[in-house]
Amino acid sequence: MKPFLLRRCLLLLPTFLGALSLVFALIHLIPGDPVEAMLGETATAADKEAMRQSLGFDRPLLVQYRSFLVNLAAGDLGRSLYEPASVAHIIGARLPATLQLALCAMIAAVFIAFPLGTLAAIRRGGWLDRSALTFSLLGLSLPNFWLGPLLMIVFSIQLGWTPVSGRGGLSHLFLPALTLGLGMAAILVRIVRASLLQVMHQDYVQTARAKGLKESRVLLKHVSRNALLSVITIMSLQFGGLLAGSLITETIFSWPGIGRLTVQAIQTRDYPLVQGCVLVIATSYILINFVTDLLYKWVDPRVNYGS
Amino acid sequence: MERPPGYLVVGIESNPLQIDPRYSTDANSVRIGNLIYNSLLRADERSQLQPELAEQWRMIDDRTYVFDLRRGVSFHDGRPLTAADVKYTYESILDANSLSPKRSLLHPLQSIEQTGSHQLLFHLRAAHAPFVDQFTLGIVPARSPAFGNSNHEPPPGSGPFRLQALESGEKVTLAANPDYWEGRPQLAGVTFKVVPDALVRVLEFKHGAIDFMQNDLEPDMLPWLKENTAADVEMNQGTTFQYIGINMTHPILRHQKVRQAIACAIDRDSIIRHLLKNTVSDAGGLLSPLNWAYDPGAPRWPYDPERAKRLLDQAGFVDPDGDGPRPRFRLSFKTTNIDLRRRIAEALKEQLLRVGVELDLRSYEWGTFFADVKNGNFHLYSLAWVGIEDPDIYYQILHSTSVPPNGDNRGRYSDPEVDRLLARGRTTLDRTERKTIYRDIQRYLAEDLPNIPLWWWKNVVVKKPGLRGFVAYPDGELISLKRATLD
Repeated sequence: MKPFLLRRCLLLLPTFLGALSLVFALIHLIPGDPVEAMLGETATAADKEAMRQSLGFDRPLLVQYRSFLVNLAAGDLGRSLYEPASVAHIIGARLPATLQLALCAMIAAVFIAFPLGTLAAIRRGGWLDRSALTFSLLGLSLPNFWLGPLLMIVFSIQLGWTPVSGRGGLSHLFLPALTLGLGMAAILVRIVRASLLQVMHQDYVQTARAKGLKESRVLLKHVSRNALLSVITIMSLQFGGLLAGSLITETIFSWPGIGRLTVQAIQTRDYPLVQGCVLVIATSYILINFVTDLLYKWVDPRVNYGS
Repeated sequence: MERPPGYLVVGIESNPLQIDPRYSTDANSVRIGNLIYNSLLRADERSQLQPELAEQWRMIDDRTYVFDLRRGVSFHDGRPLTAADVKYTYESILDANSLSPKRSLLHPLQSIEQTGSHQLLFHLRAAHAPFVDQFTLGIVPARSPAFGNSNHEPPPGSGPFRLQALESGEKVTLAANPDYWEGRPQLAGVTFKVVPDALVRVLEFKHGAIDFMQNDLEPDMLPWLKENTAADVEMNQGTTFQYIGINMTHPILRHQKVRQAIACAIDRDSIIRHLLKNTVSDAGGLLSPLNWAYDPGAPRWPYDPERAKRLLDQAGFVDPDGDGPRPRFRLSFKTTNIDLRRRIAEALKEQLLRVGVELDLRSYEWGTFFADVKNGNFHLYSLAWVGIEDPDIYYQILHSTSVPPNGDNRGRYSDPEVDRLLARGRTTLDRTERKTIYRDIQRYLAEDLPNIPLWWWKNVVVKKPGLRGFVAYPDGELISLKRATLD
């Protein structure tokens, strides 16, 4: 296990560098000039040039890249070109909203998908199974930009149970978490069902039943744990995506998260903020993958990471 | 969101980026900033400049303005507002190290001289009529930090509302300034709630979480709002001008008759009725009827497809197969990827095809689209000019020296007669004389068509019935909230 951990930690550095280099190159290659966007319609060429020099955008790209890496190593992500705050401060203000929504959406997805997927597997071919598969199909087909407003109309406008949008107490979380959670649950239901079905027909499960164990015990002790590997893989990918921010859900529900911030930064060509956001997103993915690998070992001790 | 009693909640589309008036450029920041900061002069609901912090002002020669400031005005932190604060505000913008995007607007300013605790002289390098617009800059206290290294809060202002809370991406809360020199506002405060999605803003209004919205609404939603809520919906003439930009260096578009033919081929009325639900009014030129320099006598190009065909024939672009499928010529038309803009582009494509002009529609993400427009990488595009006040804007967008990066003559228009008139317009100080100059410019451009006028966007205000005393401004300003009441 230790060599594996060491190897993974060493791999983090090139992965970070790769992600950062790619974003740095892409943001500078796409059309659009941050100085033009900042100074607007009235600035003279001399003013634009002066601003470009002040911000260091007149230097060769490689020099800018090196200075970005040096500052990053010192823990300095730079300053936003628009907001009077450091990139770290802006991201720090938005990150809790994204984490909160991601966790609640994941919990909602798990609470929907696990019971439904399990029941569908146990009652394979029955009405419960067909209902679960229909739910899954609907969840995959309904886009969030449609589902979100539909839930708002039902729960906020018609029933008056929840606020329409914005961030506040638990009542504010319900609709965006449900919108995101339903979409994720739709995939998870199928994965849970398929994984359980695959394991349920293994010889050792038949043996457990033959030994006279209760069906519930067979399911919990012998089936579920072995079916979890593929479920964990999908969940970790989904969770990584959530931490990158869900642009559509965040926009619809006026949720002040990382997804909206990243898009706003790209639109205004706020290079330091884009780089900061991508760094956070890349870090999230890398850490989640790392944790997922550790979970595999915990769920299934037979998993061997090699020496 | 908890609503404090007596607060008005305004729904806005995007997060205000910079409240400090020395740096604010996006519309929401400017409008919120104008409630926090006073300026020397302020445009009223008829776009006429009126004294605000200035008790009186006058020109003592063609390049010197003298301002006597109102006494007894204090910033929100209690400091008295004096001439030193005004001087500092302007000089901090002029300081290259402050990185203010407004620095170039102050280029005509040579120096500011403080002649008393409440008196200032503004010395210009040369006579420059449009400079008076720069007296509407918000005033901050002396020594307010520039866009520097700290995560600083916006400096205090002296306006009717003070900044109470700034939650990036969520909301901006203003509280009434109890010591405001014009009297305490009736509203306890104003909360600007960021709701990016237009449909959700409408649902928030229906739910009662938003009391007020202005513009940024899909035209399709207005009938629903009128039928399903108790909203007061007002539509007033606005100044935002939508147009088709033309690349004047293009071998086909160089022909004046081709540009006139395109103008005649556009059925604005049907687009306005069906797609825009009358939220705009047919435009004849850049300046709206609200502008003091507007010329109602400038010629227009009403929808007349037969005339368009004749003009194209006269220009030498004969239809190769009559009513057959082959066009006279093809042009690209660039727009942004906003759904409504794309639908309008589709309608324009159909209309131009009827006279034998085929458009290749290309929609882009804003940054890419705008970079292409600036670089002259287009045949035709559609954009809007926002916040038009002084007619000197013509200089910025049509003078031959204003080709990017030195201005916004994106179509690379060059005409010595227009250049001459524009130069006269900015150095002539007498308004009657200026009006004559801009009348001539408008008539000349209406014939030459360096861009094709489409429409002026109306200001659409949706408010709950209990809001009284709000007066809509042509440029969307919210300053009248200082006198508004909420039942």
